Amino acid sequence: MNFVASHEPPPEMVEDFFRGNLSTGLSVAVSAHLEMSGGYASACQSVESKIGDDWEIGSDCKESLDAAAAVKKITSQPQASVHDISEKRSRPTEMHMLERSIKLPKVLAKVASEGLVWKNLAGGISSALLKLDDKTQCEFLYIKPGAKVPLHRHQGNEFTLVLDGSFHDAGGEYHPADFLVRNGDHQHQPASEEGCLCFSVLDSPLKFTSGLARLFNPLNKYRFRRATS
Amino acid sequence: MTSMTASMNPFSLSQISGASGGKAPLADAVNEVGSESIDSDSNEALLVAVGLDQDSVAFQKLFERFSRKIFALGMKLTRNEQLANDLVQEAMLKVWQKAPLYDLDRGTAQSWIFTLARNRCFDMLRKQKRQPQTVVNSDDIWPNEADFEPGFVNEEEGTQAVEVAQVERFYDDLPVAQREVIEQIYIHDLTHEEAAANLRIPLGTLKSRLRLGLSKLRILIGVTQ
Repeated sequence: MNFVASHEPPPEMVEDFFRGNLSTGLSVAVSAHLEMSGGYASACQSVESKIGDDWEIGSDCKESLDAAAAVKKITSQPQASVHDISEKRSRPTEMHMLERSIKLPKVLAKVASEGLVWKNLAGGISSALLKLDDKTQCEFLYIKPGAKVPLHRHQGNEFTLVLDGSFHDAGGEYHPADFLVRNGDHQHQPASEEGCLCFSVLDSPLKFTSGLARLFNPLNKYRFRRATS
Repeated sequence: MTSMTASMNPFSLSQISGASGGKAPLADAVNEVGSESIDSDSNEALLVAVGLDQDSVAFQKLFERFSRKIFALGMKLTRNEQLANDLVQEAMLKVWQKAPLYDLDRGTAQSWIFTLARNRCFDMLRKQKRQPQTVVNSDDIWPNEADFEPGFVNEEEGTQAVEVAQVERFYDDLPVAQREVIEQIYIHDLTHEEAAANLRIPLGTLKSRLRLGLSKLRILIGVTQ
């Protein structure tokens, strides 16, 4: 699969997202993108008719449940109250980077709510690693104003969601809610004038391809192993 | 509960009492979100009854309509009869617990239940595959209350001095569904639960119509927050 410089996840990825076929890390990224772009409901609706056949009743369906007993057991439980609604919506969704207060999509706010540990990487980049599944390396990445990420290539895929600020590479310029897919065919060097906060998902280690940054390659492999084991 | 006192109420009884009598012109009714009359045997009506009245007969009907479908979904995704049976119970328990949060204006009962069931199934599969424990669960990733509009109406805000006549005029411009909700809360001083029960709409729907109605009023009146 060869990705063009699109600012959205490809349609088949969105369908896989709703089917639950993506890793947790990538699912979080797609969900956050759909929330930020305001397209969640319509994306959900357009996929629904396709995935609706999942619960068509087949010949193998012999549920052996005592319905009356199950209903009785369930209806003796308490229900959610109005407080649950308010509590859910009043969860903090802000992140502070330098002087800026950044509003995060809800799913990422939840991810960040356990506390992030920021580490400085090469060339004005900071990263806070997250553990969402055992297949991907997920992290918040912050590119400081004026910083340039060393030229690199990906062995697998890198999925990036812009949360705040902007960055550019040879493929174009990216703003909040933009979703980028980069794979082994691309070599790129993101740079940002105003600074940029991203959420990034890698399905294999990064490989820097130029200059002294190559010295970081063993470290990248180590970071990936640590993030996924 | 959340009953409002007059002092923090931006549109108190004295301010809009004159506006509450008239029926809405047809144009407003056409503009309206959601449908006012729902077939009492529809999935939506049953789900609303479960949410408002803890109606176990209505729940029983939903159970009969959906348990085999959820079982089929479970078989397809887990290929395990025991897990599929567990899924039916867990998903229908969620339907019972979360029924008050269902929002009529945001989709059919079927797709709401479908999302709940799939999310329970995804959580189950994740547990089975021993994926690392994370703070996010499926309801965070595939939210059912697809309410992504920023901020929830904060009723403590907005104590603005607004000309009475002005409010009356704009109040009439609101869609009936939203005006009804504002009337219940701000004129009749009911709690959210009482208002939802009176109007026969789920709490989630009441809250979103209240928020939409108030923000529309603010825009019409020109109150900036």
